[in-house]
Amino acid sequence: MLTLIGRELRDHVIYVVLAGFVSFVTVVTAILAAAWGIVAAGPKLGAGMVVVLFLLFCVLGAAQMYTDRANRISALLATSAVTRSRILAARVLAGAAIILAALVPLLITAVAILYFTDEPLVFYRGALAEVFTTAALASFACYCVGLLFGWTANKAIPVLGVLFGTLLLVLLVVVKGLGLAAIVVLLLFSIAALLRVWYRFTSISL
Amino acid sequence: MPETPIVVENLVKYYDGRCVLDGISLQVPRGCIYGLLGRNGSGKTTMIRILLGLEPPTRGRTLVLGEESMRLSAGAHGRVGYVAEGHNLIQSYRVQRLIGLCKGLSLKWNDDFFGRLVETFRLPMDRRVRELSAGMRAQLNLALAMAIDPELLILDDPTLGLDTVARRQFLELAIDVIQQQGRTILFSSHILGDVERIADRVGVLVAGKIVIDCTLEELKDRIRKLRVIFPERAPEDLYITEIIRQQSQGREMVLTVANWNPQKQAILETFKPESCTEVPMTLEDIFIECTRPASAAILQESEV
Repeated sequence: MLTLIGRELRDHVIYVVLAGFVSFVTVVTAILAAAWGIVAAGPKLGAGMVVVLFLLFCVLGAAQMYTDRANRISALLATSAVTRSRILAARVLAGAAIILAALVPLLITAVAILYFTDEPLVFYRGALAEVFTTAALASFACYCVGLLFGWTANKAIPVLGVLFGTLLLVLLVVVKGLGLAAIVVLLLFSIAALLRVWYRFTSISL
Repeated sequence: MPETPIVVENLVKYYDGRCVLDGISLQVPRGCIYGLLGRNGSGKTTMIRILLGLEPPTRGRTLVLGEESMRLSAGAHGRVGYVAEGHNLIQSYRVQRLIGLCKGLSLKWNDDFFGRLVETFRLPMDRRVRELSAGMRAQLNLALAMAIDPELLILDDPTLGLDTVARRQFLELAIDVIQQQGRTILFSSHILGDVERIADRVGVLVAGKIVIDCTLEELKDRIRKLRVIFPERAPEDLYITEIIRQQSQGREMVLTVANWNPQKQAILETFKPESCTEVPMTLEDIFIECTRPASAAILQESEV
């Protein structure tokens, strides 16, 4: 499994770097804004950058599936001592690891800024948890949209799917707000999307 | 390892409404070298891909090492070596990285044997797979398939693109594998001389149907080509069953017949031929005769 996860990360290292870069820029900008005393700009900036991350994760999912199909990677892997389910599980775990690696620094930065600006951390703890969980689940849902649309020979389908999926999920978060309702919807959406991807991936021609 | 590592039962496959495999049933016993023959588009690659679980069947069942193909466990996959037609390798990888990946995903890896193969084939480790020639890709694919010490080796036209020397090396390697007890090989090839050299059982696919499934000796024994000279013009009313091909010119008639037996011999004798000589047939001759559209139906009915 580690070999498969390692392969996914190495083959899509550009997305790991891009996600890290967006995360890094967000963290640096948030720290500078806090240092200059414009704390209110932080959440707006964070939200903007998170939307960029959503798009990036959606593209990551689509790229993983598209390159697999185009280069017939799973056709080779599936003849080794692995099953299709394991190939997909490794792919999803690699995607989840990239998502967490990009989002966790944002959470740590937010906590640190609140700590150093003498804000009552206990008061914000629940809200931070909800915001982080919603952002993480929305990112994962975007990633699943990418996986759903990526397995095709047509380049236009993943592009349109990624744009449409990201827009839909961003609107969902905007309408529902950052909280339990959005978390439940995103969770159900992600599970349904993953099941669909799994069913397709385990039954199609490789 | 089961006694029959490959079992195919009533396999049917449709592509876009076109029937590619039409009710195929066959069994490959343990230790057998099975040569699967057929013209381009006859369904050989599709059948192999279904066996490996890369393609779902429309109907029917295929078992590999006792497990259903579409639900093959990682353990079963790890005991099957596969060389794909066109050598399906990750083109953007360097050879070294591809080897590392395959090794990392294998259950068993014979470093010594693999090292010997790499040395024999002189594979460049630092080059990308797409930069290799077709022959080198074939050799790399073959080396990767052999390195796992497979119990079952499935080769889909493995010598395609190889020069004569590399082909000879491949055949010697295949024989090496065969000599390891209990190994089973299923391979398809267009080079019938190769099949004739190493296969002990052959199956011929014509238009999605298996028209022949028997040992090489049986096949050569059952399909006969006879040159018959009659005292006068060759008769037009020679009714012998299971005639695959009949060509007449003046006094001479050339007959290719399935399941030649004394009864058929007796019928021929009633026409009082001057001479009747058997024309030796190579596997290639038999293949060409058998894959003609008119022959397929005869052979299927006669259960060669």
